[in-house]
Parts: sequence; structure tokens; C-alpha cells
Amino acid sequence: MIAGSRSPAGPWLDAMVLPTVGMLAIVVGYPIVYALVLSTENYNLLSAESARFVGDANYRKLFADPIFWQALRNTALYAFGSVAISALLGLTLALLTEHLLGRRGRLARALLLTPWAVPFVVIAFLFRYMYLQNGGAINAVLLAAGAIDAPVSWLNVSSLALPAVMLTNIWAMTPFFFLLLSAALAGVPNEVIESARIDRAGTFGMIFRIKLPFLRNALLVSSLLMIIANFNDFAKIWAMTQGGPGYSTTTLVVYVYRQAFENFAFGYASAIGVIWLLLLLAFAVAYLRALRRN
Amino acid sequence: MIESKRIGRSLFRAAASALALALIPASATLAADKVTITFANWAAAEGTTKPSIEQVIADFEKSHPDIQIKSEAISFSEIARQLALRVKAGNPPDVAQLAGNDTFVVAATGKLEPLTSYIGADLKVKLKPDALAGLQYQGQLIALPWTLAPAGFWYNKAVMAKAGLDPEKPPRTIEELTVAMAAIKKSQPDVIPLGLDTTNRPFSLQSNWPWMETFGATPIGPKGRADSSEMKRYLAWMRDLAKAGYIDPGRKIGEFRPLAAQDKIAFTWDQVLLQGVIQGANKMPDAEFYKHWGVTTQPAGPSRKSYSFEGGHQLVMFADSKQKKAAWEFMQYLAASADAIKTYTLGPGASIPPLSAAPSADLAAKLDTPVYKSFSANIVPTVSTPPFGPAFASASSGIMAGVQQAVTGTEPIDQIAASIQQQLERQ
Repeated sequence: MIAGSRSPAGPWLDAMVLPTVGMLAIVVGYPIVYALVLSTENYNLLSAESARFVGDANYRKLFADPIFWQALRNTALYAFGSVAISALLGLTLALLTEHLLGRRGRLARALLLTPWAVPFVVIAFLFRYMYLQNGGAINAVLLAAGAIDAPVSWLNVSSLALPAVMLTNIWAMTPFFFLLLSAALAGVPNEVIESARIDRAGTFGMIFRIKLPFLRNALLVSSLLMIIANFNDFAKIWAMTQGGPGYSTTTLVVYVYRQAFENFAFGYASAIGVIWLLLLLAFAVAYLRALRRN
Repeated sequence: MIESKRIGRSLFRAAASALALALIPASATLAADKVTITFANWAAAEGTTKPSIEQVIADFEKSHPDIQIKSEAISFSEIARQLALRVKAGNPPDVAQLAGNDTFVVAATGKLEPLTSYIGADLKVKLKPDALAGLQYQGQLIALPWTLAPAGFWYNKAVMAKAGLDPEKPPRTIEELTVAMAAIKKSQPDVIPLGLDTTNRPFSLQSNWPWMETFGATPIGPKGRADSSEMKRYLAWMRDLAKAGYIDPGRKIGEFRPLAAQDKIAFTWDQVLLQGVIQGANKMPDAEFYKHWGVTTQPAGPSRKSYSFEGGHQLVMFADSKQKKAAWEFMQYLAASADAIKTYTLGPGASIPPLSAAPSADLAAKLDTPVYKSFSANIVPTVSTPPFGPAFASASSGIMAGVQQAVTGTEPIDQIAASIQQQLERQ
């Protein structure tokens, strides 16, 4: 609006954004450009030799690296899987608590939001200990209920580790969707609800034909936001499994960390970072478009 | 009378001012003569060791009034990364505390001061013969041993007795160990028979290296291969341990210690500090502890040899230090002075001093325990140094991921070994 304004103050106000643009260029632009440059170099922090230009060698190595592809697959599963289930659970909880009023309603909402208030690292350690094969609460409950015959090593079986970490993530993320969708539900116009009632819409008809269309934009924006957040989620995975066992929970962010800060291979880590950035950029564009449509 | 008093006061003021002016350059010279050493360490970053390292530094400054120590607390897991970055930025400390592969990772930057010319015959003769053996990089001594902390095979005599085993006869071979673990699992299903750290981090590879070696496996190094028959045998053994429920994968070494204090661990692969952790947790008196726990060398595998890893701490000096003489003075004090050993090494540091003989009768008495004696006489000589360096750090993730796949997965061992080897070749 301001940029397009024809008032005499327009050009002066345009100049006002320059410090912000300059700051963004330094804190965002420079690291991106530098990462792009590093991704074309053989640069190891421990090497006495200076960085050497290697063209697309890091990218060729990357595309032939099976761990990279596994990390990409794990990232997609972790981000999309967690967000889809959390959104569904958040929506269900928002619909279930929609008509809960008074002190009981407030208490239920406060309890449902509690996981969101717990720091992610605390959640990760909490679940790590609950998942323990010996002395873990989850095994104790399942054994007592007769659901399992022997304790399961949830985080140490390749096929179970990623679902177990995702479950933790879902527990932590569901309140976010619950909060957002509860607010969106409160925004559904009363006239529409009343008209639907007059037309004798059933519970499912009310949810699927009336409420959900109103929640579509909120769901889309929050899901995209959470997909971006999950692509970058390092703390939970690192605290729970450090990407293991094997590479079964290694995501792109964990792989970049290992390459950059354990192997000190900054060139190769930057190449992974560039691919990761491109993927995130695609989601960011989709997010911005969704916001604009909103 | 009044006039003379005024004159006297003026004279006194003038004399005092002159004296003050005369003293200013002197005190400025003193300040200029006092050198400051920066000491990057994790001892000051951890609650258990912080008071004792601060005490050691204060004692050093008292006995060396011309040297001031500026301690920089950096966590153990971060120190190598931070030092490597600081070396690149041209801002390293004078002295740093390092351990294991991190010492060699930082040495690879080429910015550690070689200590070969510093270590005099008097200090060399005081050190244990093996103390300097694993600290050479490109033919030069690059670190001074501060504390020794090899891993020993701890055995819980009470758990062994309950399982019908002779508590005074710990397993000497892998076969005996397997028999003992089976008896323990059968008699006490809630006890973890063997505490082994199988997490994926460089320290875990260092900790598991002696177990690989006793099977004759060396996955990296000049002649090392991860797909050798010895390595496959080791991986198969690890899988058998996990399948039988003899190990609890995924726990870090520190997470076994509280369980050991509760008699929930039969055997564990840990350093001398385990005694302090157990006694700190269950308040067991010394005499009872020695009746309850013993420590010995690793049960030998197919190679028929026992191995251990050195998990102690070293001191390094940076080549860019402007105060090398003072830095060396401080390093020697930490490693070999009776005060530092008493306050830190044998205190919360819970390690073995790198010296052949205790520097005082008081310390000799402190070291005269079954645990210290077993470590010094039996375990220290089995220490073997892996091929440390940046390649070890890069390889650790691939090798330990493979160990985890063997322990927790169902893929054939041959396939896992081949996959580790392929990863090592790609690096």
C-alpha cells in the first residue's frame, strides 16, 4: 500500500525499509549466498588447505549417496506424516470441545494445550525415557494391559524408531492445531450454522459440508507452517535417537549436522543445505500464496 | 604554630603525592609483568568438577603470582567444534582440555604446539611409561596427559552370586562371559547383563573399539576393513547379545551408571569414575563397595587379548599462544602437582594421575585401593589407541550406524558389513 501510494511521503517511506532490507541481506542473504558458494567447494574445516572449487562434485556425490535419499525419505515421512495426523487430531479435539462451556470447558482446553507449553527438548527426553525397554512407562503400561508379551525397544528397532519419534512429535504438535482450529471454528458465522440446522443438517453434514469449508484456509496455512517447522526439527530427533538406529530416523537436518559438525565437511554439508533450502522455499512460496488467498 | 602545622600538612601531602606517583609506574610494571593464560575446559562447565577446578586454578595463581588464568567453560560435546572454529578465526585459547579423538581432530588443524621439546627428562621420568604413547601426531607429542581414565570390565559380585556364579571369578573370555550372562538373565530377568554404549557418536566408537579389537577387527586404519570376517564376527556377536536381551541398546554410558547403583547391571564397561557415581547414589561405604564390585580387564575374544580405550583428559597448548612458558607451567601444574591431583584428579575428576608414583604419601594412601590398583596394574597396560584423527570422526557415524543396524535390525550381517565399508570408501 505504502509503496504504491502516490502521496508525496511515498518515496521517503520507501527509503525507510532500506535498513530492514540491508539487515536481511546481511543475516539471511549473505549466509545463503555463502552456502551456495561453499556447496561448490571442497572445504573441510580441519584441513590446512584452503577451500578448492570443485564445481558440481558435491552435488554428484550427494545424488549418489544412499543416506541422503534415506534422510530425504525420512524427512518427508516425518514432516507430512506428523502434520497430517496432528491436524486430524487437532480438528477432532476442536470439534469435540466446541460446545464445552464454562469452567469445565476452560479446564479441558487448558489441559489439551499443556503439551504445547512444554519445551520440545523436555518432551523429547520425557518420551525417550518412557520408551525405554527396561523401566520405560510405555512398556510397563502395555505389559500390564497384556498388549505385549515382552518389553519392546521402541527407539532401537529400525522399523519402530521413526513412528515412535513421530508419535512424540504428534503429541507435541496437536495442541497447535487444536488452538488454531478452535479459533477458526469460533469464527464460523452463527447464521450459517442456524440455517444448516433449519435445513436439518445432521452432525456429519454439519461438519463436512458447513464447518470444514470454513476451516480450509486455517488448516492449509497452519499445515504449511508446521511442515516447514518439521523440516527443520532437529532437537526432538537428536535428543531421542541422534538419527539412529542406523539411519532409520536420520532426517536432512540431522545429516547436515553430522556432515558439518562431526565430519567438518562444510562443502558437502552446504550442498545438502542448498537442496534442503530449495525444498523449504517451495513450501514457503505455497505458504505465502495460501496467506494471500486468505 | 598554626602556620607551621599548615606547612607540615602541605609537606606531608606533597610527600604522599610523590610517593604515590613513584609507586604508579612500579605497580604498572607489576601489572604488565603478570601474564594471562586463557584455559578452555569443560571441567568448569560441569557442576561436579567446577568447584575443584576453580580451587586448583586459585591455588596455582597463589603459587604463581605472575600468572593469571582466565578459565573459559565450554561443554564436553562442544569443545572440539568450538576450538576448530576458533583456530580458523585466529582466536584460539592458550591451553585447552581435550579427550580422545577430539585431541587429534584439533591437532589436524596444524595449530597445536608440539610439546616434544617442552617435556623435560624430569617430568618424563615421573610419568607412567604408557602415558605418552598414544599422544603422538605426525611424530610429535601434541598433548600432555592430565588424567588417565581407561575403561575396565566392572562386575557386580552380588548379582553374580545370586546367579550361582563365583563372584571372585569374573569372566576371562567371551565364551565365559556368554555363559555368565545367560545365568544372570535366567536368575534375574530385570538385571541388564552387560552395559555397553551403542549410541551413534565418536565416543561410542572409541568405547566399542576394544571389543572390535578383541575379535581381531579394525574397521579403519592402514589395513582396516569393515567387511572383514573379524568385523562380521563382532557384529554377529553384538546381534546375538541384543537378541538374547543381554544388552540394552540406545543407552549412553552415563545412563547405565544409576542402574549399576541399584544392582540392575551385572557387568559394565566403564571408567574409574563409576565407583564415585555408585557411591554417590547409594551411599555405599568404601569397604562394602569393594565387597560388592570388582573391576578387571576385558574378557578376551577370538584374538585372545584384552583391550581397553583411554578415556582420560589431555592438555594441549596452541601454537598461536603468546605466553607459552606460562602455559606450560600451568599444564605441568595441573598434571603433576600434588595439590592439583588431590583436589581435582582424585577428587571429582575421579581418574588416575598420569604419574608412575604418587607425589606424596597422602596421595599414595588414596591410590591404595583395589579399584585404583586394578586399573593401574592390569587395565592401563591393555589400552590401545585407535587410529584417531578426522577420519576416525567421519568414520564413527557410519561404523556405529552399522553396529546399530546389526543390534536392532534383521538385515544379514554380510550386507551390513559391506554397507559400512562402502560408506567408509565414499568418505
